[in-house]
Amino acid sequence: MRSNHQPLVLVAGIGNPDRGDDGCGLAVVQRLRGRVPAMVRILQRSGDALALIEDWNGIPSVIVIDAVAPTSQPGRVHRLDLTDSPLPIGFAPHSSHAFGVAKTVELARSLGRIPRCLIAYLVEGERFEPGALLSSAVTTAVEDVAERVIVELSATLAAKGKTCHA
Amino acid sequence: MANRTIQVDYIARVEGESSLELSIRNGKVDAVRLSIFEPPRFFEALLRGRGFGEVLDIVARICGICPIAYQMSGMHAIENALGIEVDEPIQALRRLLYCGEWIQSHALHIVMLHAPDFLGYPDAIAMARDHGDVVQRALALKKTGNDLLRVLGGREIHPINARIGGFYRVPSRAELAPLAEALKHARDQAVETLRWTARFPFPEFVRDYEFVALRHPNEYPMNAGRIVSSAGLDIAAADYEAEFIERQVPYSTALHSVLKKRDTYLVGPMARYALNRDRLPADIRALAGEVGLEPICRNPFRSILVRGIEVVYACDEALRLIAGYEPPSRLFVPVEPRATIGYACTEAPRGILYHRYRIDADGTVLDASLVPPTAQNQDVIEEDLREVATAGLDLDEETLKARCEQSIRNHDPCISCAAHFLKLRVHRT
Repeated sequence: MRSNHQPLVLVAGIGNPDRGDDGCGLAVVQRLRGRVPAMVRILQRSGDALALIEDWNGIPSVIVIDAVAPTSQPGRVHRLDLTDSPLPIGFAPHSSHAFGVAKTVELARSLGRIPRCLIAYLVEGERFEPGALLSSAVTTAVEDVAERVIVELSATLAAKGKTCHA
Repeated sequence: MANRTIQVDYIARVEGESSLELSIRNGKVDAVRLSIFEPPRFFEALLRGRGFGEVLDIVARICGICPIAYQMSGMHAIENALGIEVDEPIQALRRLLYCGEWIQSHALHIVMLHAPDFLGYPDAIAMARDHGDVVQRALALKKTGNDLLRVLGGREIHPINARIGGFYRVPSRAELAPLAEALKHARDQAVETLRWTARFPFPEFVRDYEFVALRHPNEYPMNAGRIVSSAGLDIAAADYEAEFIERQVPYSTALHSVLKKRDTYLVGPMARYALNRDRLPADIRALAGEVGLEPICRNPFRSILVRGIEVVYACDEALRLIAGYEPPSRLFVPVEPRATIGYACTEAPRGILYHRYRIDADGTVLDASLVPPTAQNQDVIEEDLREVATAGLDLDEETLKARCEQSIRNHDPCISCAAHFLKLRVHRT
């Protein structure tokens, strides 16, 4: 049973703020702070993605925001519904460190711990060097994703987190 | 026998990036190369010119799995240089923090990285479909370890709360109380996990390692002790470089550490346990006996049992430390710089981690030397592989590849720390 204080939605930004465009997930959730209702929990994760399984425990709707390697155009935003399908191979490179987001999502699926609705916003990055700032293309995308997430949150909260909304 | 080439382009479930090349000629393994191709990370150079107070924040960035180990060796080496003795409550808090890292690092390796090898699964995701309860337990265990890091270290990854001489902030007893409750559950989960791994099919395989670990007069070693070995070595950390040397190999960006007089040696849980079993409480020794762990384990495939014992111990030790905790009267010992040099070794989850720092009169680091456990175990891993491959020459390619990868994972290498992951090539001519 969900307590009165249990969020309906978790928005998790993932990345490393010191590796250029890898920090875009964190930048998006920073822009969301103070702009979302109390039933939305905002979270930044910079390390082991495995902790996400505990983070979203009991929360019906989850939005994950992360950077991906460029496959078409830096700054391009992909919105994927991972509730019933894995991250496509092109977005799920091997991680040399423990568990990345793609493996974490599939582990959660194996354990029956996927949220009722799991959406990923993936932003194609341009540069990932240590110490780099966000590229201009990804900076623009960060604003775009933040606005899209706010719109999506309205629809999700209206449905009390029970369904995914595009 | 026909000449064969076996190649594995990506060996998963280790930390970092490297490849393995096996050359088999006329039915014999004649070359084994664990090649770490990850670019050098220059941390020792990055430390030069920085103030000694910045060291802990810099070295914590070396590894996302064992940042506490880097902070511990760093703080002890600089405190050794400056002649600082920290207060007993601070020592206890540091040991509690280290318990958190041992729990989370070992839990990750035992279940998520190593166990699939024994049960024939490609990864923990596939294993979780059949052994969901075990994976859930591991996640809960790992979370408990991470919670210790968060409360004591300030955050789980690259903690920020440790400083030379003590801590920036210490927890209240009330903050530790929920951790104690979680640790009681974690202890049960650790015992169940250990008993589960004890039923694995372990290959018959024994190696005559020289074990190297810390040894303390009355503690199972974490932060303090002399460096001892199963061949009679018994030195202070200050004498490490008189006995050990790092050498370059042409095929790897990581240095290989060897004993000057006797060459390869093993660090890590097997070495710690072999040299310090008598420092474990009687009930932990009894548990080791119950799961069939011999007093000295020389089969690296059974290292998973030793890690399991260490997780149970770390839970008990953390509970003991929390039960006796009183917030220290001062957060840290004041530190004044002077021109000097200091040394320390502490027990990272994967084995001893040596640090040396030379600092000048205003506290600037002039040079630093860091020797991670994986650099020390690389030769042993290659020797293990030579014997595993020799014993498995009749195996089909895929089975031999899998056995070689498992053999590497026996030692939980943190290749990121040693420089960084794994392609395997076997040439048979």
